Amino acid sequence: MRNARALGAVVTALVLALTAGTGSAPTGPAAAAMQAPKEQHAITWEYPPKFSNVTINVVGDAGHNLAPYEFWKDHFPKAGITIKIIEVPFEGVYEKEKTEFVAGSGAFDVVTFYPAYIGDFAANGYLEPLDEYMKKQPDGVWNPHQEDVLPPFRELYNKWAGKTYALTIDGDAHMMIYRKDLFANPAEQAAFKAKYGKALRPPQTWGDWLQVGAFFTRKKGQTLAGQTLDRDFYGSAEFAKRGFSFAWFVDRWAASGELYFDDTMKPQINTPAAVAALQNFVDSLKNAPPDVRGYGYDELRDALLNGNVAMVVQWTDVPKKGADPSQSKVVGKLDYGRVPGLAIGGTVVHRAMMPVGRVVAVAASSKNKPAAYWVAKHVAYDMSLEDVSTAFTGLDVNRGVHFKHPEAYSDFKTTAEAASYLDRVKEALADGYPEIFIPGAAQYEDALDLHVNKALAGQETPKQALDAVAKEWTAITDRLGRQKQIELWHQALNSYKIAGLVK
Amino acid sequence: MALRLGGEVAGARPRAETVRWSRRTPVLMVLPAVVVLAAITLFPLLFTLRLTVLSWELTTGFPPQFIGLQNFARVLTQDPRFWNAMANTGMLVAVGVGLQAVIGTGLALELNRLRGGRALVLSLLLIPVMIAPVIAGFQFRMILNDQYGPLNYLLDALTFGRVRGFAWLADPRVALWAVMATDVWQWTPFMTLVVLAGLQSLPGQLLEAAEVDGATGLQALRRVTLPLLLPVIVIGVLVRFMDTFKLFDIVYQLTGGGPGNVTETIAYYTYLEGFKFFSLGYTAAMSFVQLVVITIVAQVFLHYQKRVRGGAVA
Repeated sequence: MRNARALGAVVTALVLALTAGTGSAPTGPAAAAMQAPKEQHAITWEYPPKFSNVTINVVGDAGHNLAPYEFWKDHFPKAGITIKIIEVPFEGVYEKEKTEFVAGSGAFDVVTFYPAYIGDFAANGYLEPLDEYMKKQPDGVWNPHQEDVLPPFRELYNKWAGKTYALTIDGDAHMMIYRKDLFANPAEQAAFKAKYGKALRPPQTWGDWLQVGAFFTRKKGQTLAGQTLDRDFYGSAEFAKRGFSFAWFVDRWAASGELYFDDTMKPQINTPAAVAALQNFVDSLKNAPPDVRGYGYDELRDALLNGNVAMVVQWTDVPKKGADPSQSKVVGKLDYGRVPGLAIGGTVVHRAMMPVGRVVAVAASSKNKPAAYWVAKHVAYDMSLEDVSTAFTGLDVNRGVHFKHPEAYSDFKTTAEAASYLDRVKEALADGYPEIFIPGAAQYEDALDLHVNKALAGQETPKQALDAVAKEWTAITDRLGRQKQIELWHQALNSYKIAGLVK
Repeated sequence: MALRLGGEVAGARPRAETVRWSRRTPVLMVLPAVVVLAAITLFPLLFTLRLTVLSWELTTGFPPQFIGLQNFARVLTQDPRFWNAMANTGMLVAVGVGLQAVIGTGLALELNRLRGGRALVLSLLLIPVMIAPVIAGFQFRMILNDQYGPLNYLLDALTFGRVRGFAWLADPRVALWAVMATDVWQWTPFMTLVVLAGLQSLPGQLLEAAEVDGATGLQALRRVTLPLLLPVIVIGVLVRFMDTFKLFDIVYQLTGGGPGNVTETIAYYTYLEGFKFFSLGYTAAMSFVQLVVITIVAQVFLHYQKRVRGGAVA
């Protein structure tokens, strides 16, 4: 009897242990690589003279954005190149690459990174300047046609101190994505009109965002667009997880016209406009799923594509995924628009944060620089239309040629729909607002993200949070060398101006 | 005489040489190990100690500058994030390791009473220990998912919709407990193993004597088994304390230190300072403060273990 009881207790523990030990679905480029997009031949390019079986080590953030190396895996052997992919977690790219650079291990030939770190990598001599490679002949092999790259990406993402160190593969900006079927529903329109005395339409301002978000937030059993809900439904959702939550705060603040620092590197992050913006972000969580503080890119995308929320602000690749029936339950129900703005002087000013982005560069320590450059150029230019137009990557348009071929975006039902999407992307890029592009960006942005997140978690008020950020930014500037940081900030400001992002 | 002396001298030389060699041999035998040990532990330790007095910010590319004890002053007096991370870690150690000790001991006592299949059950029970913590973190991220995770689904199903589960990883009130639960799930079997080994080495006569004296099962457990097991449990807890103090993988996978910084552990914060901000001097100072804390606590544990072992033997 005692033995049986003991066995029972142990078996219970075992069941718990084994239940918890279940597996998970595979992710990464291997999963996404199964369907290489159709080659468009809209961009003409040539293979280089064959290299002598060199191996090129490519490092980048794990997942769908490394898929192009799988898509075009047959191209590289024809150039005498073997590609070896090193995948790093999304949040760990900078630290992994920086560590290898500092150690001088020569582990990477082609590095994929977030352009906010170009100052750090280029200024410290980790990257090979590309200007000479870009001028080599024949043109079809070596020229990445940088003149076609949109100015914000060409000037900000690719250059440092006047030289080109990287090529853009992913031109990121935020846009608003919403359920057009809900906004067009007559019953919902009437209910909104009755409640707020105005027409239901996609939010123009962040104030509208809260109002519309609250309107669409419903409990299980209530009705939404004539359907009885079998689970809770939410008006909006946010990227509220640690890491990049600061970008969703900046979306709300940037339209005020303020910048991160003034000319003397005094932080401008705790102004009344900034505090109001953070308060709006905090308030928006009331209309979001209860686990929204754990939402990163994947969770935010899935909340929309699984039909759980009415609207999100997301990167511009999400509409492509929303049009793909293998990834979306709301195919044909989405529309897109500018990120909400602030009403200033009778007009609404919109600014869309441009967080992350991706560039490829050649490591200064590479032993096969010409081959590494060709690989970088092949994904950044030759095959770029295919890479940005498929729903199987997260890469976004970044060149003029990407806008000229809506037919390439075959996940959309019609070319007209794809063209409409591209028009909205163009608007989002025109609203672009940059990250902090100076060495130390990781520290400045982490401090901002931490305190924004503390405000979202209720650990600090918006005012306390942003005052703390200002204090920490001042300390970081002092530690890194105030004079040098001021010089670098002026350089970044100049790049912002050349790129047309600030006046 | 001279000849005898000479003979003595002649005979003494080889003996002295033999003695010298016999003294040197162990030194020479140990030397390679000492050199290796110095290379892999002493050198990094001294190098890190040197870093603590430098300002070395790798993001700037400036050469390191000597700043005396400023890094320590910043750690101890100007960095609330450090102390928040220490408090979170302290909670995980105190409550989490405590739970592991209690549950692990309970399971070990039950396992000890099993007659058949103990080896099989123990092997299965050890599966969580064999899983890499980063994988365990990933699994729990799935399990604890608010909308799609099996935990909330089960809570909903078993209570007929009356109880709605938490947003375990996103709710600041429960996120640290979710991290703790993951660690407890993974490492309780280790405590079970340690305590079971201790149980099996206990002298059977004492328990038999207690039974003859009419002690109930609970009395025998409280008055005989647990006091005898205490030295083993203390060692198990010490090992788990040191390991939990360095808890990183699970936090990285589950929460990234959020929401806010409610789950940021000291190991995670040290990682950020070292490998994201590349503030080498400051990171070294943080590491040394942690080393001191771990050493002090370990000494307390070892002292206590010695005392209870002495008491148990007496």
